[in-house]
Amino acid sequence: MTQRLSLTARLTLLFAMGSSTVLLVLGWLTGVAIDRHFEQLDFDALAGKMLLAQHAIERVKSERDFDTLQSQLSDALVGHHDLVVQVLGPTGEVLLASTGIAFPSEWLTSAPHGQTKALLEWSQGERSFRGMALAISTAIPRWQPLVVAVAVDMEHHNVFMRSLMRALWVFVACAALATGVLGWLAASRGLAPLRTMRERATAVTAHKLDQRLSVDAVPPELAELATSLNEMLARLEDAFHRLSDFSSDIAHELRTPVSNLMTETHVALSRPRDAASYRTTLESNAEEYERLARMISDMLFLAKAEYGQMSDWIVEHGESVHLAQEVRDLFEFYEALAEEKGVHLELRGACSAWGDRLMLRRAVSNLLSNALRYTPRAGTVLVCLSEGDGVSSLTVENPGQTIPEHQLLRLFERFYRADPSRQQATGEGTGLGLAITQAIVRAHQGQIFASSDAGKTCFSIQLPQTPDQPECTDLLV
Amino acid sequence: MKILIVEDELKTGDYLKQGLSEAGFVTELASNGVDGLHQALTGDFDLLVLDVMLPGLNGWQVMERLRQSGKNLPVLFLTARDQVEDRVKGLELGADDYLVKPFAFSELLARVRTLLRRGKNGLEPSILQAANLELDLLRRRVVRAGNRIELTAKEFALLELLLRRQGEVLPRSMIASQVWDMNFDSDTNVIEVAIRRLRAKVDDPYEPKLIRTARGMGYVLEVPEGT
Repeated sequence: MTQRLSLTARLTLLFAMGSSTVLLVLGWLTGVAIDRHFEQLDFDALAGKMLLAQHAIERVKSERDFDTLQSQLSDALVGHHDLVVQVLGPTGEVLLASTGIAFPSEWLTSAPHGQTKALLEWSQGERSFRGMALAISTAIPRWQPLVVAVAVDMEHHNVFMRSLMRALWVFVACAALATGVLGWLAASRGLAPLRTMRERATAVTAHKLDQRLSVDAVPPELAELATSLNEMLARLEDAFHRLSDFSSDIAHELRTPVSNLMTETHVALSRPRDAASYRTTLESNAEEYERLARMISDMLFLAKAEYGQMSDWIVEHGESVHLAQEVRDLFEFYEALAEEKGVHLELRGACSAWGDRLMLRRAVSNLLSNALRYTPRAGTVLVCLSEGDGVSSLTVENPGQTIPEHQLLRLFERFYRADPSRQQATGEGTGLGLAITQAIVRAHQGQIFASSDAGKTCFSIQLPQTPDQPECTDLLV
Repeated sequence: MKILIVEDELKTGDYLKQGLSEAGFVTELASNGVDGLHQALTGDFDLLVLDVMLPGLNGWQVMERLRQSGKNLPVLFLTARDQVEDRVKGLELGADDYLVKPFAFSELLARVRTLLRRGKNGLEPSILQAANLELDLLRRRVVRAGNRIELTAKEFALLELLLRRQGEVLPRSMIASQVWDMNFDSDTNVIEVAIRRLRAKVDDPYEPKLIRTARGMGYVLEVPEGT
């Protein structure tokens, strides 16, 4: 339940609980302090009276004086209506006493001599008292010593404390309520930026992915969240754009072969022909279909890579792949083509990488066929293998026209062709080769770069040599 | 050779039936899993071409029940979904081969023939022959019209494949996979070039011409009719 409580309710509750606790402690401390103060006041009053009594008793020099002592004590001690007094002789006979009050006899008999004035408290019926007792020496041996006890009725203190406590309780309750309300107001005001963010977030749709949360307008605590959300939105926008670009690219790419097929078939059907020309049409169609089928399977391959299926497969079925052997096998495959083009294939170095052999072979194959396509006669396609820090690196370098910087970045895009007319004319490839290579390398947690300078184009792949090598993780994704 | 095709899509089923019939096989067509299973269990077939997505029983289930009842005829799966798990599942269940739609008919035909040939343990001939071309597997020698021809290892393997599959149209993908172990489509004309170079050595200077291009499908080695 508590997890589902709204932030405002939580903050309100916390405010109310916090302030009530503080007020309660404050109230308790105030009570204790006032109690102490009363005690001190009582003590001072009682000590003063006791001193008077002491002086009066010390002036008694003979039994004759004793009669006057009683009236003197009465004058000194009585008259304060809260004050009660009792004077005892050494054998316990009462010499003087206020009415209706009995001092606890045990502390009368054990009353200390001299200056010690300890406060004692006791209750009698509903009333409670605070008092002190003292044994005082006299000049008359018969009354040696006299015990004087004085006490005050604490009723007026108690009345005061009760009303104070009542007031305090009412105040605490009101304060808790007030802080609750104030807390609620503060929380609602304080959380207003969140509502603004929510409103902005609701405005984000597939068509309006460019909406961003304003980082500057929100408090610093929310700025980080807003930044993270904005980054997420940017990634989504990017992926979404790529996806919709891809869909439109597919439609574009399919349009040419489909339109070829339609035209060809319609023309063939437009009038009767001999078997041979039907055959030619069908053969030409078959070639076009094959291209379509290849494009579809390439696109499915990329889709699988995008969904992460490929990485999962590699994690489960990866092995150490001897790259030099793979390159040699590929050289054998491309040998005839290279010879016919008068291009030399060269391999330097050796290393192994972690992953799926077939996929890696396909990735390198695409780089090689790409290099072969653009290498001029008598040129050399050079493949270099090296390793270090648990990373294998493979570079495919070929002479050829320098590719401008802005095109280099786009080489790995699907269907991107640096030279559209040339590709279309030869009918080779689906324009997905380098995109597939990149997808394979990324699925292997590797990185791929392209560079072109001074008539040399170079593709470089870095692959981890063992599974789970964080250094090679592609930061671009 | 009798082949049972289980395919629910009418057009595909009809074309498969027609194509395989014309290639010289006796074929029957079932359009759902239940009928397919029944026919496979009761009829005497040499091969089952089985679509995965079927009404009634799907391909996997047909396969499972077939194997449970002890039928061990080879099965070639057809599927529109190229999921790695699918492939693994199919092979685990005992499928013999697997083709992803869209596929070239020549590819299907080549695989069907491979499956039917498998398990037949006739004596492996050590010399393959077509007209006046002779390939000696043991001595790794090729002779055409009495002349010794020097071939590279891969050219030899390519010619061997064509000779073994005489009369069959071999799609480029199959040639790439069998000769170079490249199990993916290359976007280059490597196979075309390789065939051209083989022809230059084996076919061009001689008659009759044995290696023919089946446009849009692949390559075939056959002795032309009338020779």
